[in-house]
Amino acid sequence: MTSRHSVERPRAAIRPDWWSKSCAGTLLGFTLAIALSGLFTWFGPGGPAAANKFQFTMWIVAPLWLGVVSFCFLFRSGLRAWLWLGGANLVAYALLLAGRGPLPH
Amino acid sequence: MRSEVIRLYRQVHSWTGILTGLILFVCFYAGAVTMFKEPLERWITPPAAVTPMALDGAEELIAATRALRPEVRDFTLALDPVLSGEAPLRLTWTEERIDPAPWAATLDPDGSVTVDRLDPAGIGLLVDVLHRTAGIPGDLDIGTMVTGIASALYVVALVSGVIVLLPSLVKDFLVLRVTANLKRMWLDAHNVLGIVSLPFHIVIALSAVVFGLHDQIYDALDEVVYDGRMRTVIAASSPFRGVRKDTGPATMLAPQAFLERVHALEPGFAPTSLEYHDAGTRAATVRVWGHDARYLVRREGFVLLGAIDGRVIDTEYMPGHQGPWSSTVSAFFALHFGSFGGEVVRWTYFLLGLAGALLFYTGNLLWIESRRRTERRAGGPVKQSRSTRLLAAGTVGVCLGCVGGLSSSIAAGKWLNGLVDDLHAWHWGIYYVAFLGACVWAFLRGAARAGVELLWASAAASAAIPATSLLGWLAPGLGLWASPGLIGVDLVALAGALALASMARLTARRAQAGPQDSVWATGASTVHPGRSAPSNRTEVRPIAAPQSMTSTTEV
Repeated sequence: MTSRHSVERPRAAIRPDWWSKSCAGTLLGFTLAIALSGLFTWFGPGGPAAANKFQFTMWIVAPLWLGVVSFCFLFRSGLRAWLWLGGANLVAYALLLAGRGPLPH
Repeated sequence: MRSEVIRLYRQVHSWTGILTGLILFVCFYAGAVTMFKEPLERWITPPAAVTPMALDGAEELIAATRALRPEVRDFTLALDPVLSGEAPLRLTWTEERIDPAPWAATLDPDGSVTVDRLDPAGIGLLVDVLHRTAGIPGDLDIGTMVTGIASALYVVALVSGVIVLLPSLVKDFLVLRVTANLKRMWLDAHNVLGIVSLPFHIVIALSAVVFGLHDQIYDALDEVVYDGRMRTVIAASSPFRGVRKDTGPATMLAPQAFLERVHALEPGFAPTSLEYHDAGTRAATVRVWGHDARYLVRREGFVLLGAIDGRVIDTEYMPGHQGPWSSTVSAFFALHFGSFGGEVVRWTYFLLGLAGALLFYTGNLLWIESRRRTERRAGGPVKQSRSTRLLAAGTVGVCLGCVGGLSSSIAAGKWLNGLVDDLHAWHWGIYYVAFLGACVWAFLRGAARAGVELLWASAAASAAIPATSLLGWLAPGLGLWASPGLIGVDLVALAGALALASMARLTARRAQAGPQDSVWATGASTVHPGRSAPSNRTEVRPIAAPQSMTSTTEV
């Protein structure tokens, strides 16, 4: 555990904040990965109805999600992890919901 | 900043590793064995006198079976075993998704049909399910989800492990220092194994997450991305999308006609089986399964044909005829299954799987060793903590229980085949008894003693495989047999037995002569030893580079 005084140094050290960061990475990382996969589904090549593209977009959720989980410990604190990832989620979902049209057929 | 990040990720690596190491050991060991599950299956099956029957009888068999069992509309005609004379010409069908004992219809010489339930052999099925669930009993979906979650943590363990290793990667790469510092040696071994097989591990980890958690991911995508209408998107991609249900009777083409049709479409495609759907109706289809060595495919690919007119309905799963998305996803599958590149890749995957199991095993050892150092530095009497002792015992019990349990189950299969009704259940029973017995034994005896004893037991169980074949060859009266074509199974098991025996000897030596404050020592009263490290009396002998004690990779 990082002690209090080290946090107050200039260029503050990275606080471990294990629980906070792990939860942020796992939950917000998953929702972010879903949204990014969704953006690729709708705006990537072929659009949402391309044959068997839904399988590919499901596959890319895993690396996106676990990439976020893996690197979320680099946030300086748990709070920052929640804020940054929460913000990224907001942007991604806003784009997805705004751009998502009706499905063909 | 940099050393701080590394310290942080060392903790991430330790925790994710400790949480998943034992589950992943079982998945990897069983996964390595799945590469050869067909030969194993044949190894425990007595050679039956198969009357080689050309495919010519297939049309007659289908017609006769349809007459006898009109309600069976979905069935499979395997081509491979018939053409190679390994199995009679037969139609098979199952009642459940994973059924150890499918039904089979065979043609008798007088033209009548016999419908029988096949003997549930299923060491192949056991190995497969063990690989997918790590042996967690109950519903397949639960075990698969658990291994899916473990695989997710495993991805994080891989990334964090690479981050920890990066600064010293160039300096320490491929260096194995066999020195007085045992921890250093295990660390080097762990790093070399991890880095050399990193691409394999990344591929396996990510694809295993998908295999384990795809239902949950699809559910989330359905809600968020497809607005609850993913079903229509999936249906629009289905190979069967153009087939309208029509139960009116119709006459199907002969099996040979389908093979000719496929050959005309793609001469490089080697068919292995025909899977009928809605046979005998106007909507009848047949999936011609097979492989094409030039492409990455999911185990096998297929082309969907109309069974009445032989028209090509869909090629989205046919190697070389897939769309871009389908062929990319097929490549992901192929990279997990090792279903490409023939025997070289098969053996490579087998060895990489075993190396992976060893990676998790050495990872646990490192954790134990590093805990020990911490305690020594703390001063006072070196008494191993409960967590260290429990993890040592658990590592020994689970890993050797899995190794010994699988070997016992395989060897016993040959003895029990034909004697018992439900061989599949026996396979599982033997595996669980051996596995749980090893775990209980490890906790009762402590890691040090149990390590040696269970290594010898596993060596004996593995040696029982070639011994059974040898006995069958020397004394055929016992009801056993040897299959000359499957000597590879016996040789691999023999090599495994020898490796386990030599580990047992090394472990016993370390328990006696190694540092007595270790969990792996038998001498001290409060501590328990372990295994497979050379005595720490070994001279300082760097193998490939000067010894570096300043490395940042110390755990």
